[in-house]
Amino acid sequence: MSEVVTPAPLYWEAILVALGAIPGAWLRLRVVNHFEPVVPHKHWGTFVVNVSAAFFLGLFSGLHALQLKACSGVDGTAPMMLLVGVGFFGSLSTFSTFVVELLNTLQSRQFLQFVGLMVFSLVIGLLAAAAGYQLGLSRG
Amino acid sequence: MAESPTQGRPNLDWRLLELILVAIGAVPGALIRWQAAGVYFGDGDNVVVNVAGAFILGLLVGRGVDARWQLLVGTGFCGSLTTFSAWMVDCVVLMAAGQWLQAAGLLGITLGLGLGFGALGVLLGRLLRRPRPSQSP
Repeated sequence: MSEVVTPAPLYWEAILVALGAIPGAWLRLRVVNHFEPVVPHKHWGTFVVNVSAAFFLGLFSGLHALQLKACSGVDGTAPMMLLVGVGFFGSLSTFSTFVVELLNTLQSRQFLQFVGLMVFSLVIGLLAAAAGYQLGLSRG
Repeated sequence: MAESPTQGRPNLDWRLLELILVAIGAVPGALIRWQAAGVYFGDGDNVVVNVAGAFILGLLVGRGVDARWQLLVGTGFCGSLTTFSAWMVDCVVLMAAGQWLQAAGLLGITLGLGLGFGALGVLLGRLLRRPRPSQSP
């Protein structure tokens, strides 16, 4: 039996993304501002939001992948994915600030710190995303 | 209310303005990322928005803008336009599918282009910097 899935109107999906994005950006501002005066290096705030968002987005994607497998043919606009995945976690984590902080270490000729921050962020970020994804897949 | 010591820390009005500016920037940033990447993570990648966001934030940092523009365009728009988590999850999904070359490519291309265009943005921003008479002796 083939069920015709009518996609939700675009504006409704856009509202979901926006509703997720606003608290994501607020939380990122809050965490980065929290870390900035505490430790001399601002980039730890960015590191924390990026790694935690990678873990939870991985978890969410793992759960979502199972859901997709269970009911194949569902349309690609799951409301929770738009709100939480694209909106909240996508907005919570940031790539642009990560790049600018890497460039700052380069500019002040702290090459060891440049390599360290880059490798550490990517390795921990990948591990967090992988751990979340596996956990999500294992929780049917 | 008159004797509340607010010096040295932002007052309530400023905090509220901070949140409003970040929210106004975050909404178009997230919508553009969503439309540019496609709905699913793993399907659409975020290379274009990530590189573009790094360039725009580089421009801001290179030129030097006041706190309000930084909050609106930097923290709000660029922070929301670009994403680290989807990049990591995309790589992990590729690795889980055994597509190691594509995963390494996505990792390296995003990082390389991001650093390159970010640096280009900083340099261009410096050219656009207004001369400040107060700093000259």
